[in-house]
Amino acid sequence: MGLAANGVPENGLPEGVAIEVRDLHVSLGGNTILSGVNALIPEGSISALIGPNGAGKTTFLLAIMGIIPYQGKIVVRRGKGAHNIGYVPQSLDFDRGMPVTVMDFLCMSRQRGPLWMSRSRKQRKLASEALQRVKADHVADRRLGNISGGEFQRVLLAMALMEGPTILLLDEPASAVDRNGEHLFMNLIKSLNEEKGLTMLMVSHDISMVTRLAEHVICLNHHVLSEGNTADVINEQTLSACFGEDKGLMLHDHHWGQDLTCAFDPLPEKKPSSKEE
Amino acid sequence: MDALYELIETLLPFAWLQDDFMKRALITVILIAPLCAAMGVMVVNFRMAFFSDAISHSAFTGVALGMLMGISPDFTLIVFGVLVGVGIISVRQKSTLSVDTVIGVFFSFTVALGIVIISMKRNLTTGLHAYLFGDVLTVSGFEILGILALFLVCLAFFFFYFNDLFLLGINERLAKSQGVRVRLLEYVYAFLLALVVTVSIRVVGLLLVTAMLVVPAAAGRNMARSVKGMFWWSVGISLVAGVAGLVTSYHYNPPAGATIILIASAIFIISQLYSIARK
Repeated sequence: MGLAANGVPENGLPEGVAIEVRDLHVSLGGNTILSGVNALIPEGSISALIGPNGAGKTTFLLAIMGIIPYQGKIVVRRGKGAHNIGYVPQSLDFDRGMPVTVMDFLCMSRQRGPLWMSRSRKQRKLASEALQRVKADHVADRRLGNISGGEFQRVLLAMALMEGPTILLLDEPASAVDRNGEHLFMNLIKSLNEEKGLTMLMVSHDISMVTRLAEHVICLNHHVLSEGNTADVINEQTLSACFGEDKGLMLHDHHWGQDLTCAFDPLPEKKPSSKEE
Repeated sequence: MDALYELIETLLPFAWLQDDFMKRALITVILIAPLCAAMGVMVVNFRMAFFSDAISHSAFTGVALGMLMGISPDFTLIVFGVLVGVGIISVRQKSTLSVDTVIGVFFSFTVALGIVIISMKRNLTTGLHAYLFGDVLTVSGFEILGILALFLVCLAFFFFYFNDLFLLGINERLAKSQGVRVRLLEYVYAFLLALVVTVSIRVVGLLLVTAMLVVPAAAGRNMARSVKGMFWWSVGISLVAGVAGLVTSYHYNPPAGATIILIASAIFIISQLYSIARK
């Protein structure tokens, strides 16, 4: 990582940048979803991607993961493991009656042997640890269809963490979760970022969550309307341009209680956290 | 083959196994039942019962084509079934139509084509009975080798790709993000399912093949508490229904295929009651 011998950044990525997106175009089924998107995701911090429905936010994440076709350039900084990027999808649509336990689910994509033979002890241990990390170890033997939305979101997070990623992509992480679950999840995100220096990119509709957690914000509506520090981006003008006239709903979202951060007030100075290399 | 017959006679000295054709029927059922159960677990996971129905009904046209062209209908049955299966997946991957609609179109087209072909020659309808209702008692030693080969191929496939397939059935995007090669896996799965369906027509007939796939797996789903449990319950139920159906059919005469399905359905009803009681 860092500079090669002749002073050129490795991968062409500048220092402190985890993901570089240049001139990204995505069309699906004849519709242009993203056009001319440029963005720089800073390394080791939490970034948020906001925008109205249909703006292409999920598509942006899918393009970064390389699982949809796109035009343009996306460079991702390499991590140590094979699986650099962890993905926590929006709550899944699946058959809730299937007898899949949380353990089955977590071991499924990782163990060599088929689930109908046995579950690998090593993977079970890793899964247990991941579940403990996300405070969901009590659901290990429950059916996937039998756990709450919040627990399921944390299981998805555990699945992503098991890969040992350096970058975590989260798609609307609190959309199907109740208030308490949301609070717990957000604290988890924050602590993971502080502990492991994970780069996080979070798609969110919740501006108060964004202002509380994110240091870097991208406003997306088929192309980037605004990008920068949270304080610079979250203001009436930008949100208006991004979301249209319904901005009143966003700016007065006060359900964080004591820690409320109103988008009108300037944010407190954030201290640079010391992150281990 | 004779050695195998002798072995069966020693281990299972029952009256109904005296004839060689019954021994062959037993071997066939023992191979096909777990194969259908394992595939059935995936069919239920993917919610693709209609897909397997389309393949089995297209077999009707495959047989008709074979009879019309003077080629072995057993062969054209398999080839046509595979073409329909792979064709459905291919069209679905490329179009925005729902999978139900794509299957519906294929289904309607192939069956209508089959009916037209059948009506072209008077004597074509006579051989159809065996294909509609199954005819496990006429399976030859050679066919058993073919079924064994398919069994082994599917066993290998389920060893290496079961987890990926299951994850794909839960959520396609998540599977892709975990590196599962979704497109390829769908094609291979469709290909193998088409083979299993067309081969199973021998035992239960094309009208009931989907039931052979779905009913034991649905019962297994009710009984199980984990993926491993669902797999082995389905295989077990399928084997029990298969052998019991065969024996009952021998003693009391109804067609083996239908008897197997009736027994499997009874087990399913019990499993459904169990699952309701368990809640």
